[in-house]
Amino acid sequence: MEKRTVMVYIVITLLVFSFAVISGFSQEDVSTIQDSAFKEKMRPPVRFLHDEHNETALIEECNTCHHVYEEGEKAEDESSEDMECSECHALDDGKNPMSLVKIYHVRCKRCHQEKKAGPVMCGECHVK
Amino acid sequence: MHDIYNFVSGPLVWVSFIIFFGGILYRLISMAVLAKKKDVIVYEYMSLQYGLRSILHWIIPFGTVKWQKNPIFTIVTFTFHICLIFIPIFLFAHIILWKESWDISWWYISDIAADVLTIVVIASCIFFLVRRIVLPDVKYLTSISDYVILGIVAAPFITGFWTYHQWPGFRIMGIIHILSGEIMLAAIPFTRLSHMIFFPFTRGYMGSEFGAVRHAKDW
Ligand code: HEC
Ligand code: HEC
Ligand code: HEC
Ligand code: HEC
Ligand code: HEM
Ligand code: HEM
Repeated sequence: MEKRTVMVYIVITLLVFSFAVISGFSQEDVSTIQDSAFKEKMRPPVRFLHDEHNETALIEECNTCHHVYEEGEKAEDESSEDMECSECHALDDGKNPMSLVKIYHVRCKRCHQEKKAGPVMCGECHVK
Repeated sequence: MHDIYNFVSGPLVWVSFIIFFGGILYRLISMAVLAKKKDVIVYEYMSLQYGLRSILHWIIPFGTVKWQKNPIFTIVTFTFHICLIFIPIFLFAHIILWKESWDISWWYISDIAADVLTIVVIASCIFFLVRRIVLPDVKYLTSISDYVILGIVAAPFITGFWTYHQWPGFRIMGIIHILSGEIMLAAIPFTRLSHMIFFPFTRGYMGSEFGAVRHAKDW
């Protein structure tokens, strides 16, 4: 093979490879919040790129969301990322979703409203 | 966009509810004062029994001759009013906003049911509109303000439907929805929509006069 042909092959292979890596990454990164407590969903799932979101939003503490409470006070240096929100915030009477939806909305939406960045309307989070 | 959203979904909601309830109170009190000044007879004629009897007939579909004469208009008017009051109160999207800010909630209907009922309301509004354009005797009694009022009532339903389905521009539409809902609430005490407040009194008075004075039916 000629030197130039080899170069072309290498470039093509690299291009294809990097494309695969990038698209593979972005596919893995696309994720939604799926709390297992919601049995029948009323709305489309909420897209939430966990790490990317927290980086661009400059959230440093995991317990901004994954918090732990001790004697009614938020424990500053503990976190609960190994638990689902619904493990502590249960459905009312085991079926009414109001309270659980509320804590998600309060956590996510209120910060977006305060920071004036990020989604605030139903359809911006529950994207069809 | 966030500034506008925060404003229409925060302070403006307060303003519209204060105008709504304050306006109802104001209209009721000023009517009572006016009636006392101008026409004390009203108070003497008012009879609980005959008044309620008349109201009862009027709020039952086909309970009056007028309702019986126009069956289609009657059916549309009743379903329209039931949906109109039912949907905003029992819509999940509305209740969750109450829950988020006041930690109160109540029974809700499914989004699909809300969607269907919303179509019913929009169709009823189109019916009222066509009726006003097509029927000569109704057209004669119609002024521009009737169309405006019909538009004020239809707007929250059309924009809410649009937003729910995430059609193009739904972010702006969502904000217009909230605004249009607030305009409707604020308009109720001060436009012809005040028939909601005055219905029991006008009907009750008619019923009392017809029942106790003329010994006749007004339905
Ligand atoms: C903006 C809020 C927020 C912040 C900040 C946050 N998380 Fe999460 N995290 C979530 C949500 C929401 C879920 C999804 C829970 C679910 O699906 O039930 C989640 C899930 C997880 C999970 C479970 C993933 C799985 O597959 O079950 C882990 C682990 C986790 N987060 C770790 C972290 C760590 C470590 C940090 C800090 C560096 C952090 N999180 C910061 C909101 C947040
Ligand atoms: C280990 C148990 C636990 C887990 C897991 C947990 N919470 Fe909480 N959360 C609590 C307790 C306890 C309170 C305070 C008491 C209360 O108000 O119910 C609270 C309060 C809240 C509040 C209201 C007070 C505030 O800080 O504004 C929100 C919102 C909230 N949690 C959101 C979440 C979200 C979102 C998740 C999941 C990412 C989550 N919680 C996971 C225990 C937990
Ligand atoms: C402490 C503040 C904070 C909390 C809590 C928070 N966010 Fe955000 N979020 C932001 C900020 C700031 C941005 C805008 C980032 C930017 O500049 O693009 C954002 C952007 C977003 C975006 C659009 C950008 C993207 O990543 O696609 C989504 C979707 C989003 N947030 C979802 C959520 C959800 C769901 C939750 C709750 C589990 C949540 N956020 C909790 C601050 C927060
Ligand atoms: C900032 C993002 C955000 C916004 C805005 C938002 N939600 Fe949610 N919502 C969430 C998250 C996160 C959950 C938890 C999702 C899960 O675990 O499936 C949730 C859960 C729900 C659920 C329960 C799950 C289901 O599909 O049955 C409903 C219903 C819901 N939201 C309705 C609404 C409505 C109505 C609005 C507008 C008034 C709205 N949401 C606005 C983030 C948002
Ligand atoms: C006063 C403030 C109001 C606020 C903040 C508000 C808010 C909302 C929100 C957030 C939605 C959901 C949109 C979505 O799913 O993406 C909605 C939908 C809707 N709202 Fe309102 N609303 C208000 C007033 C009203 C009023 C007064 C009416 C009617 C009289 C009304 C009728 C509706 C309808 C019909 C829908 C759509 C239902 C469907 O098709 O599923 N709203 N509203
Ligand atoms: C709960 C109390 C209410 C009662 C008893 C009531 C009663 C009525 C009646 C009897 C009619 C038929 C009038 C006619 O003969 O033409 C009517 C029409 C109408 N009402 Fe109500 N109403 C109430 C509340 C409301 C509310 C809250 C709204 C809107 C905010 C509303 C909007 C309308 C509209 C738009 C029409 C038809 C207008 C047209 O013909 O173009 N009503 N109402």
